[in-house]
Amino acid sequence: MIESPFVVVEGLHFSRGEKDIFRGVELQIPRGQITAILGPSGTGKTTLLKLIGGQLIPDAGCIRIDGEDVHALPRKALFRLRRRMGMLFQSGALFSDLSVFENVAFPLRVHTDLPEAMIRDVALMKLQAVGLRGARDLMPSELSGGMARRVALARAIALDPELILYDEPFVGQDPISKGVLVQLIKRLNDALGLTAIVVSHDIQETLSIADYVYVISDGRVMAQGTPDSLDVDEDPRVSQFVHGEPDGPVPFHYPATDFFSDILNGEGRP
Amino acid sequence: MIGRIVSFGRRGCEVLEALGRAGQFLAQSAVGIPSREGWYLWLRQVHFVGVLSLAIVLVSGLFIGMVLALQGYTLLVDFGAEQALGQMVALSLLRELSPVVAALLFAGRAGSALTAEIGLMKATEQLTSMEMIGVDPLRRVVAPRLWAGFVALPVLTVGFSVVGIYGGYLVGVEWLGVFEGSYWGNMQGSVDFIGDVGNGMVKSVVFALVVTWIAVFQGYDLVPTSEGISRATTRTVVYSSLAVLGLDFVLTALMFGGFS
Repeated sequence: MIESPFVVVEGLHFSRGEKDIFRGVELQIPRGQITAILGPSGTGKTTLLKLIGGQLIPDAGCIRIDGEDVHALPRKALFRLRRRMGMLFQSGALFSDLSVFENVAFPLRVHTDLPEAMIRDVALMKLQAVGLRGARDLMPSELSGGMARRVALARAIALDPELILYDEPFVGQDPISKGVLVQLIKRLNDALGLTAIVVSHDIQETLSIADYVYVISDGRVMAQGTPDSLDVDEDPRVSQFVHGEPDGPVPFHYPATDFFSDILNGEGRP
Repeated sequence: MIGRIVSFGRRGCEVLEALGRAGQFLAQSAVGIPSREGWYLWLRQVHFVGVLSLAIVLVSGLFIGMVLALQGYTLLVDFGAEQALGQMVALSLLRELSPVVAALLFAGRAGSALTAEIGLMKATEQLTSMEMIGVDPLRRVVAPRLWAGFVALPVLTVGFSVVGIYGGYLVGVEWLGVFEGSYWGNMQGSVDFIGDVGNGMVKSVVFALVVTWIAVFQGYDLVPTSEGISRATTRTVVYSSLAVLGLDFVLTALMFGGFS
């Protein structure tokens, strides 16, 4: 039992059409720590972040952030709560009509009354942190995927949020940028005491900075614990995933009928 | 048979659901007093949907006025009534052609662009990221576009009428030799400001609301894929055109059909 968790997920059920994504997920995200959420592709890790951010509504269960039930809040109160959160999207999701600098300055302009000179200083500090101060005048269309995600990170931390959600922060980064990002996430957490949830496939990088880890599979929490405890977990599914083994109980293939009978009985049908 | 009834019922429910979503969407995005930055965003959109549509609307207005005068002259001259050309051109434009054609052009030029722009913002998660920053995209992205279209189309309609009447003058007076005094004089004598100009503007305001509402809603509600954007853009033009033509009949019946 975690003492005074910042985010609590209770009995979460969520489905898309006929497919159940979550079937009773229970999570407690410790305050001021980095929590990693791992799991095979298609288990709904990004969906979980969107549920925590209030962008999706669960079929059952509740999500509380700092004691507030996200999905019971009226629209205005939800937007107020989101000002205390930052989210790094997988695609970056930069505003395509604004320059790099304006993207980072955007949250400061809409949520603060800071003078222009201070907005400039803060935005440049955030860009310096992600190594892209020199790219301030570029437009998002002129950035590579990795650079766009770093700008998005600078924007996500512009208001020094209390909770930050990272959706695949290391995808598409070169080794140097990846190392810098790992350190940056850790430093932000240590310096500002913010609570971080990292969803990632890059297990080694994620485990190197995570304080606590949840492994999600088949709509439920499959395992949880500290990185060290997961490393020696004897559950074959956890072990296969954490060590990236090709053979094991976690299937590589999406559920389908028998391959050979599919080929033999196809008769030209797709 | 049962299957068809079920399918029909399901389709009906989907349409009602979409109408409900569209109504809620309009209510959430149109209310509230804009901030100082809201006015700036609105002005930018007025430029985008209004000023940039000016060329196509004015050129179309000029040609339609010229064609009206040419066609009207060949008909009126048989009855020796070519002096009523100004009256015919003005009433046709003010009551019907300006609001309807300007709205159709607006749907094709600005409506489709609004849908594609908002749809692409949705597909690239820009709207979602705005929500996560704590900014309501309905207020920041949709509202300025909605109000810009609401204001721009009536102004474009006025421009369409003015240029159309001038086009009629060029053909009727300058080319075909209709007496200038009777062109303007008959127009002045027969056009009622409230009954003709006013009713035409009421139509234009209604069309502006409907076309812009359809355009922004289709953009906001689309399936965020390239195919989804393409379909939504097409739907904007089709639904807007049908709505304009259908509403034009209803409004004409109410305004000029003797029901009042």
